[in-house]
Amino acid sequence: MQIENNKLIDDLLRRMESCKRIVKEFESLPINKLQFKKGERWSALECLEHLNLYGDFYLVEIEKRIITNPRKNVSTKFKSGILGNYFANLMEVKDGKITKMKSPKDKNPSRSPLSITTISRFLKQQERLVTLLNQCRSIDLSKTRAAISLTNLIKLRLGDTLRFYCYHIERHVLQAQRALEEQGQMIRELERRQLGHG
Amino acid sequence: MTSEQLFIKRLLDAADAKGISKIFSKGEYLIKEGQVEQSIYFIEAGAVRVFHVTEFEEQTIRFGYEGSIITSLSSFITGKASEFYIEALRKSTVKIIQKQLLLEIVNESTETLRQYNKLLEGLIIQQMEREIDLLTESPAKRLQRVLARSPNLFQEIPLKYIASYLRMTPETLSRIRNS
Repeated sequence: MQIENNKLIDDLLRRMESCKRIVKEFESLPINKLQFKKGERWSALECLEHLNLYGDFYLVEIEKRIITNPRKNVSTKFKSGILGNYFANLMEVKDGKITKMKSPKDKNPSRSPLSITTISRFLKQQERLVTLLNQCRSIDLSKTRAAISLTNLIKLRLGDTLRFYCYHIERHVLQAQRALEEQGQMIRELERRQLGHG
Repeated sequence: MTSEQLFIKRLLDAADAKGISKIFSKGEYLIKEGQVEQSIYFIEAGAVRVFHVTEFEEQTIRFGYEGSIITSLSSFITGKASEFYIEALRKSTVKIIQKQLLLEIVNESTETLRQYNKLLEGLIIQQMEREIDLLTESPAKRLQRVLARSPNLFQEIPLKYIASYLRMTPETLSRIRNS
């Protein structure tokens, strides 16, 4: 994949804007709805906390790469790496289908009860990310390398790290939205049955 | 009684007359970020914390326990959205004194106005103490300073929030306490 920096960043910003809009609406929902779990599946808040744990790593990593970047001979065209492209594509949601994936233990959010502040932290991370994405417009996104959270054995091209990270956010925001929708359907179904009996 | 205590007593009498008292269960919020603070709170029983959420953590900036007056102060003064949450750390009984009522009492007489000024001066001095806390590099000294003014802190507040208030990890705090 080859693309102008600005085009890549604009695309990622659009995706993040839509994620922000979705999560903003969560703020007005009752807490028990946000915490609702169907079996082992994550609640809406758990999806967001999972993203916050990733953000703790990626926001710091991306910022570090921007700050320490030598700004000379900058190409503003980004060419994806083989491995980076593979990881990013793995994360991207295609045709609205979320493929199941196992998440690393340290990124598992189901340890502590989550509160409304999880949303607030998520939105603050998003603000930070938007600033960082805009700073990335004038950086060589192919030559600059950044670590990934899965392993410290490899580094990806910064452009691929950005794609991987943003697609990952999109994936779990969609998952959170679905968790809430499914719950709505279950409640409607229960109401329908109760009416039937009455 | 000091003039601050007189003033608080006057406030509480007024709050009693209007009967605005509420019980918050553990984890409930007195105010959330983004809301405008309309009241000050008197903690009759229980404990609360004031905290700020950043991208990476929840930063506790103040505690309130039995007998404390607390509010999201900057929002209360400016009428702008609160940048802080106030959360009940256990079941807490809280008297709620609305801004309107407070101002009525403040403007009753020059005496109440003077008492209110004393209360605000006290707050400013506490803020300066807090500023020195944050500038104190040694974690052990930070803990000493706080214990000097709130000896019962550990009886009232769970350790992890004290650690956040002192800007150290819960592990560091445990280590200092045990040494």
